[in-house]
Amino acid sequence: MSKITRRRFLAGSAAGGAALMLTPAQKALAAGSFEGFPEGMGVLVDLTRCVGCRTCEAACNEEQHLPEPSKPFDDFSVFDEIHHGQKRRTTDKAYTIVNRYDVKDTEEPLYRKIQCNHCNEPACLTSCFVNAYKKTPEGAVIYNSKVCVGCRNCMIACPFHIPAYSYHSVLNPVIKKCIFCYDTRLKEGKPPACVESCPQQVMTFGKRKDLMKIAHERIKKNPDTYVNHVYGEKEVGGTGWFYLSNAPFEEAGFDTDLPKKPIIDNVKDFLAIVPMVLTIWPALFTGFHLLATKGKSHGHGDDHSHDEQEGH
Amino acid sequence: MVHAGKQLMTGLGVILLSAVLAVGCYAMDYPEEIEIDSLVNLYEAVVFDHAMHVDATENCSECHHHTTGTGVANEYCAKCHNGNEEMDLVACVDCHSADPLSPENLHNPTPDFVYHNDQPNLKAAYHLNCIGCHKEVDGPTGCEDCHAKTEAGDKFYHSGEFAPKESAHSSGH
Amino acid sequence: MKKLATYGVKPHDAGMKSDGQQWSLMEKLLLGLTLDQYIGQVLRNKLNWFLAIIFAIGIPVILYRFVFSLGAVTHSSYDYPWGLFLGFGLFCMVPLSASGFMLGTTVEIFGRHDFEPIERLALLNGLLGYFFAVVYLLVDLGQPWRLSYPMVYSFGPAAVLFLVGWHVATYLSVQVAEVSTAFFEWIGFQRGYDFIRKGTVGLTVSGIILSTLHQGALGALFLYAPGKVHPLWYSSAFQWIHFFTSSIPAGLCMVICVSTVVIYTMKWRCDQRFIDNLDRITISLAKGAAMGLSTYLIIKLIAVAHDNEWAYLMTGWGAWWLFEIVGFVFAPLVILSYAIRNKLVGLCRIGAFITVAGILLNRLNTALITFNWKLYQEIPHKWEIIISITIFAIYITTYRFILNRLPILYQYKSKADE
Ligand code: SF4
Ligand code: SF4
Ligand code: SF4
Repeated sequence: MSKITRRRFLAGSAAGGAALMLTPAQKALAAGSFEGFPEGMGVLVDLTRCVGCRTCEAACNEEQHLPEPSKPFDDFSVFDEIHHGQKRRTTDKAYTIVNRYDVKDTEEPLYRKIQCNHCNEPACLTSCFVNAYKKTPEGAVIYNSKVCVGCRNCMIACPFHIPAYSYHSVLNPVIKKCIFCYDTRLKEGKPPACVESCPQQVMTFGKRKDLMKIAHERIKKNPDTYVNHVYGEKEVGGTGWFYLSNAPFEEAGFDTDLPKKPIIDNVKDFLAIVPMVLTIWPALFTGFHLLATKGKSHGHGDDHSHDEQEGH
Repeated sequence: MVHAGKQLMTGLGVILLSAVLAVGCYAMDYPEEIEIDSLVNLYEAVVFDHAMHVDATENCSECHHHTTGTGVANEYCAKCHNGNEEMDLVACVDCHSADPLSPENLHNPTPDFVYHNDQPNLKAAYHLNCIGCHKEVDGPTGCEDCHAKTEAGDKFYHSGEFAPKESAHSSGH
Repeated sequence: MKKLATYGVKPHDAGMKSDGQQWSLMEKLLLGLTLDQYIGQVLRNKLNWFLAIIFAIGIPVILYRFVFSLGAVTHSSYDYPWGLFLGFGLFCMVPLSASGFMLGTTVEIFGRHDFEPIERLALLNGLLGYFFAVVYLLVDLGQPWRLSYPMVYSFGPAAVLFLVGWHVATYLSVQVAEVSTAFFEWIGFQRGYDFIRKGTVGLTVSGIILSTLHQGALGALFLYAPGKVHPLWYSSAFQWIHFFTSSIPAGLCMVICVSTVVIYTMKWRCDQRFIDNLDRITISLAKGAAMGLSTYLIIKLIAVAHDNEWAYLMTGWGAWWLFEIVGFVFAPLVILSYAIRNKLVGLCRIGAFITVAGILLNRLNTALITFNWKLYQEIPHKWEIIISITIFAIYITTYRFILNRLPILYQYKSKADE
């Protein structure tokens, strides 16, 4: 084979390959520099108010047409349930869960409602290789189950352990999670079912930026009550639902080691090398090849007669 | 509860208002009983024994902030309200809107200069106030201590006759 | 086969019979034996019985999974969305298959034709490893029939998995092309052989690019889960480098392991060139693996220093980490270095097996064992384990089927010897 053919082949394959894979890489780099929609809605969750009545769980079940629960929603024995040493978590049958935590220094237990936090830069969204997730301008992180392949990477990525998977469906298993009641309520500007149902107004619904102000005012007005931190203001780039608490957040089961940067920032360094490898490698290794084989026979051992190894 | 709100008892407002206008707390007159039926789709109406609570508390302002002319319990309110003046608005619902989350209310948010930008809605105003105090004085705090569930309530909570038949399938894994 | 050889039966290894006639496809498939002879040797082989037992149990379970959902054969864990199928099937098979691009590079790019006797084995090892990683993936995906979506229908280009998907798919085709030369020879399609042969360098270079990226990308996948993977196995700056560098010794040692198995169990299929060169090549491969291992070890330590994680070494997880690093990276490094210096082929092979075990341990640690270290550890469902073993058995069967026939371990002759 002549050098010309080889070079031409190389140039062709390298250029083609680069074009094919550069585009996604560039898009990936552009993604993730997103700060959340300024007018996006959010929910301020004030844990000091929650009495653990589980009305929100019932409301979500009704609103989202979820299957029958295994125990009634006014059965408080669920707070003692332990699975693998863990308290309850969201499942494909329950998009929101209230757990009880015994905190130090107070007799009163603390209750915490768990659901999707509708992150500003959702890890689930950026990890999805079919782009099933979408952050709507209203602030919800919703999900298109029609394209879900079922790789479950979003479950790996979500720092809050939120998305669940309907493993038991044979033909159409998909991701299931809280969608901020987007279809039925948020789209029309209405608050989610769980928020509206709560007797204690643990959750306040509004524009995220307004609520953030209110959260800080509550801390300022009641410095003895609240821990001076709004969980979700900065965590993983900020979340649409954020929390006030009277006990240290780690005691209420929050992960306080989460980075302040969005999860995708972690991955950007790697994505940045992609175009580099794609452009530098072909030239580099072709160079190696030409150098290494310069002046030597290009014969391969497989030309039948060539059984002896070439001395090196 | 989910459908709470709109049909908030005009009746209650009227009773309260007329009562308030007629008499004062300790000095004024007040309703003996108040029927609260805003959650009537899930629970039977609650008959609130106002007279008993008047006897049990030292000062109306423990619940009514600064509106009854009997002093101010909360130092924050006291910064503006001296508390000696009885106000026209006394009933909870007069300030705590039943439905601050209605789309209309959300689209006309309180302007920035308004100080009271973080008021609980009526349902929460009741519960925060009642349960908050009941915890301190060992009053009833369970949902059904005050509210008797209706059939619709049982259905909503999947309890009573609507309870899951067999709890064989685990609730989470 | 050994037994047949004593009767003077020779396996098919050339384009034409010694009397100048063409072999028919059927004869090729039967290795040039008669049907009776063929069945006889299949039944004599104990491994076949063992594989048959695995298939008898495992294949119904695989069918069960597709009829009764993933939930029926796994714990349906929300906290461990990736179980053995990906933890073993994807994260272990792919680095162990890095051999293809490495030997390809050595022979085709660096012109080291002294490695040629093993090049095809390495390429085949790469191809089959990737192919079966995809098979594992198909079993694990909730909706495998949508596998092509990220390619043709709905793109999520910001996702690392998107990159992995594209690269594994493209690389798989590159490898099919690379291995197809052996197939074309065997089937007797000279034009196809010549065509692919011309593009070898191009194919090899695209192989390097794709491999560098997706070996690293598999590590980068865990960058989405800081806090879930134990800090000792997680490094935001070095994760992809760890996965990439460790894939080098992984791939090379896998070739040593496979060639060891082959030389002990399938010697009849190896030609003299392969047998004569194997010891020398094993030592050379071990050299490469030792270099890879030392680089990997250093970067591992740098990562711990970089994130200042020394304190973790004092914990139980730290002990587990030291077990992995000392027992399965440092120890094989020492063994390999000693063996290389003293030209001890057997010891090289032992070192290679330990290295492969170390890679398995590392990937399982990252994907399963230390994953969710703050929550709890989960032992995979028994059927999940059975399915994983069954697919691996299918992998071995396929591997053997091809090695028995295609000119991988032997050079194809145009005409059989007398
Ligand atoms: S409805 Fe409100 S008070 Fe009741 S459990 Fe939910 S958040 Fe807590
Ligand atoms: S909480 Fe989890 S599932 Fe919800 S938006 Fe954030 S990353 Fe996604
Ligand atoms: S926002 Fe809607 S979907 Fe989400 S937990 Fe509340 S009720 Fe359920």
